Amino acid sequence: MINFEEELKKFHPSLEVEDAEESIYHQDLTDFADMLVKKIIGSGQEVTRETPKE
Amino acid sequence: MLCYNCGCRLSEHDFCTACGADVSLYKKVIHVSNMFYNEGLEKAGVRDLTGAVTSLRQSLKFNKNNVRARNLLGLVYFEMGESVSALQEWVISKNIRPRKNIAGEYIQKVQANAGKLEAINQTIRKYNRALSLCRQDSKDLAVIQLKKVLSMNPRFVRAHQLLALLYMDGQDWEKAERELRRCREIDRNNLQTSAYLKEVEQMLMPEEGARPSVRRRKDESVRYQSDNEIIIQPLNVKEPKSGGVSSLLNIVIGLAIGVGVTYFMVVPAAELKVRNEEQQVITRISSESDAKTARLQELESQIEGMNENVTVMQAQLESYVGVDGTLQNTETLLNALAAYMEAEDKAAGAAAAAAELDAISQRVNMEEMTEGFRRLYEAARGEILPEVAAAYLAEGNSLFDSRNYAEAAAAFELAYAYDAGNEEALYQMAQSYRFIGEDEKAIAAYDKVIELFPDSWRAERSRNYRAQLAGG
Repeated sequence: MINFEEELKKFHPSLEVEDAEESIYHQDLTDFADMLVKKIIGSGQEVTRETPKE
Repeated sequence: MLCYNCGCRLSEHDFCTACGADVSLYKKVIHVSNMFYNEGLEKAGVRDLTGAVTSLRQSLKFNKNNVRARNLLGLVYFEMGESVSALQEWVISKNIRPRKNIAGEYIQKVQANAGKLEAINQTIRKYNRALSLCRQDSKDLAVIQLKKVLSMNPRFVRAHQLLALLYMDGQDWEKAERELRRCREIDRNNLQTSAYLKEVEQMLMPEEGARPSVRRRKDESVRYQSDNEIIIQPLNVKEPKSGGVSSLLNIVIGLAIGVGVTYFMVVPAAELKVRNEEQQVITRISSESDAKTARLQELESQIEGMNENVTVMQAQLESYVGVDGTLQNTETLLNALAAYMEAEDKAAGAAAAAAELDAISQRVNMEEMTEGFRRLYEAARGEILPEVAAAYLAEGNSLFDSRNYAEAAAAFELAYAYDAGNEEALYQMAQSYRFIGEDEKAIAAYDKVIELFPDSWRAERSRNYRAQLAGG
């Protein structure tokens, strides 16, 4: 039996258009590749990850 | 694939041929990202949008620069009604690769129509408002808001799910199922949708001993959707046979009820109406009859009065016109006078006229006659009667001289009758009665002479003769 209150907690407010900019700015875009590069940096290799320029 | 260090294109080796960086792991990470992208693409192709989101997000977790995955993710979000999330992904994608990026076109399409963008914003605001109302326990208002949201954005999966949840909470299972099936059309493998749908189907098709509030035996009906309606058609329904005994009985009962209603309700009302109309007619006729009766009585009384008048007038007319009427008497008098005046033998004429005058005096009441008649009559009498009296006197004297005393008495009597002031006639009458032995008559005549003419010589002689007769 579905509990209305419990299920209601799963619903979150949607972003409005005005909030999109802020949300983008605050988004953490760190991916696995970044972590890998960081690890490589930590190992002593001087590397920087370039973004693809196509 | 480019080197993460120098940006050169990598070869099949596990190191960058330009800068020598170890790219083995990096290559694997990129491959995994691409693999998830492929998976997401495949899922998006079969409308498993939730699965596609999961895969694409995984792809981006491995490689945030996977523009294709990000663009696709934006598309999937947009299809699910999450327009702002879609714009986010496209904006980030555009920033990662500013040129030759389809994300730019997507953004342009959305932003080009300001009304569309505002509508998207309104949809989101209403959804958020509905969610807030749900938390405040204003579920009816939340339902209304969500319906508005879905009218503006029919592909908003979360709105469908929230509305379905509200219907389920209100035990409106049919409507909840409808919303969930719409969800499923948009996003096929959404777990939340599936869980809700399972719950709803359980409520719509309860097992034995479960809640009997909603019953539907699947094998006895077929369900299909037509536009926005779900049509449930039972399979094992037999059409009732026409012409059966029960139908006939129902018809007979219906007829009997109809006849009864007509007899007890319609007929009395109609009869009452007819009676009222008849009563009105009777009343009207009675009043007319009374009026006519009164008029008849009035006319009858008028007729009676007129009849009386007619009788009176007829009597008056008769008195004027009749045998003994005034006109007739007047005519007789005039004829008598005319005859007298025209007669050659004046004596005879006078006698005839006198006879007529006598007759008139017998018939007529002088007081009723006109003054003119009376004057003429008296004048006629005054003119004619003395002449007649003189004639009878002469005749009486002649007869007396001839010793015909009886006839002489008669003649003298007539002479006296026509001329009561004729002393000679009266005296001679008495003499004639004495000579014929009529002593009483003689005495009476002598008394008359004495009375009327006391100083005359005839009165003296009358006394003597009377005394003789009385003594003798």
